[in-house]
Amino acid sequence: MLENIPLNDILKILLVLVLVTSSLVLWQRSLTSLFKTYALQSLLVALVAMVFFINDGHLTLLFIALLTLFGKVFLIPRILNRILLQMNIRRDLEFRFLYPVSSLIVSILLIFGVYQVFSNLMGEVMPDRLFFLGAVIGVSMALMGMMVIFSRKKMLTKIVGYLSMENGAILFGLFVAELPFILEILVLIDLVILVLLVTVLAFGIDSTIEDFHPRFTPLGEWFKKK
Amino acid sequence: MSWNLVLYGFINTALALLVSPLFISLIKKVKAYAQGRVGPPILQTYYQLYKLFKKERVYSYQTSFIIRLTPYLSLAFMMVASLSVPLVFIPAADPGLGNIILFLYLMVMSRFFMALSGLDAGSSFGGMGSSREMTLSAIIEPVIIIVFGALAYVLQTTSLFDMFGQVRENSFLSNPSLILTGISLFIILIVETSRIPVDNPETHLELTMIHEAMTLEYSGPDLALIELSHALKQTLLMGVLLNIVAPWGLASEPAAGGIAVAFLAFVIKGSLLAVGVGIFESLMAKFRLFRVPGLFMLAFFFSFITVIFKFLA
Repeated sequence: MLENIPLNDILKILLVLVLVTSSLVLWQRSLTSLFKTYALQSLLVALVAMVFFINDGHLTLLFIALLTLFGKVFLIPRILNRILLQMNIRRDLEFRFLYPVSSLIVSILLIFGVYQVFSNLMGEVMPDRLFFLGAVIGVSMALMGMMVIFSRKKMLTKIVGYLSMENGAILFGLFVAELPFILEILVLIDLVILVLLVTVLAFGIDSTIEDFHPRFTPLGEWFKKK
Repeated sequence: MSWNLVLYGFINTALALLVSPLFISLIKKVKAYAQGRVGPPILQTYYQLYKLFKKERVYSYQTSFIIRLTPYLSLAFMMVASLSVPLVFIPAADPGLGNIILFLYLMVMSRFFMALSGLDAGSSFGGMGSSREMTLSAIIEPVIIIVFGALAYVLQTTSLFDMFGQVRENSFLSNPSLILTGISLFIILIVETSRIPVDNPETHLELTMIHEAMTLEYSGPDLALIELSHALKQTLLMGVLLNIVAPWGLASEPAAGGIAVAFLAFVIKGSLLAVGVGIFESLMAKFRLFRVPGLFMLAFFFSFITVIFKFLA
């Protein structure tokens, strides 16, 4: 339990808001709004880390907060917005297996399921309700991000699903076991590389066949010459 | 019945009726600014109601007593419902007035008669509006019950009086899941008052209108009563939202000074919320009819999470 009661309450409010952003990631169709929601979610995770830093005073927590702030609130959404500018897509209207309404229903079951599992597994290990709450919300967020990945067809939305999953993992790490700082940096670098790699894939997959075909033609000609 | 309760009933209903048109005007003003127009004066809804009350009634020869009775019934149901939502002070004893089930049923009764009156004239527009209203009601009513059920579970009471009292006494921070209920209540406010993205209150287009289609047959004082009851419904739902999320200023005693301050606080909070609704409407585009249940599902999701959060925290 945090010693400072107002900080304890602020953490609960932040967790509630994080859940709101997770549900909006599942529900939204506009890509611009989706990126803004992701940035807001990352800001809330950074604030959670900052609250822990204010309470504990560990510099690692401050670095995690700052890294999350610069990497996920500013850098990654900026990259995603630049990609969006170059692509002729504004909204993701295609779904597979689950539509937003059914995704929300499945999320309710997921959160309840995670709560049940954690109650049995970690009830005695984590007697503090706040940390238990953070762990449940972190894992639920990661699973909701996974749902975004398999239920959406556009690559850009899938990227946001990955990123949202990673935010869930960080939240879980903050509440259950503090991740070493070097791991945080590696995860962030992985994320940036992931965004860049998926961008390359997305350009191929999301552009039209007519645009994509000429890119392969010179390659085919080169093989013919040989 | 104590004098305290009589005084409460009189003051609460009168103040709710008084401020309701103001909030409607404010929303229109904000939307006009968002569209680059000056918009109507703040008191325009009052002028409009005054003008309508002076006009004569015109009825189609095919209508029955339903269309004549509905405006009075609609306003009466809303006025009785206004007794359930304390806007300025919470009376010491609750003889069952603040029961949320009663409050919801009174609102549903008003909607039921509105739908009947839409069908009464036999016009295709009215019938279409009633049909759409009932279709959406069939989906939103269970969600509203779940939202209020979650609220009752978190605050351990079914009385709105006790709910507001508890939220006012305790720090808002002690119940952070009320933020989620607040979002659900905001969605209910948008849906129940037929606003964008569910319905557009300013259009009479065949393809889009739901609530307006049911009121097309009304004229003069009847239309004024319908509009007033609609405005009152909005104020009551705003009152529930504000007193759960921001209960500051609600008086505990029926003293003149306290009531004046509480009324002023409610007008300020309500005006800010009305501006928020106006901005929200300006930012959103109207949803296709089949996408609207998605919005309801969001309210359902948040209320369910409220219950889970209560378990966890």
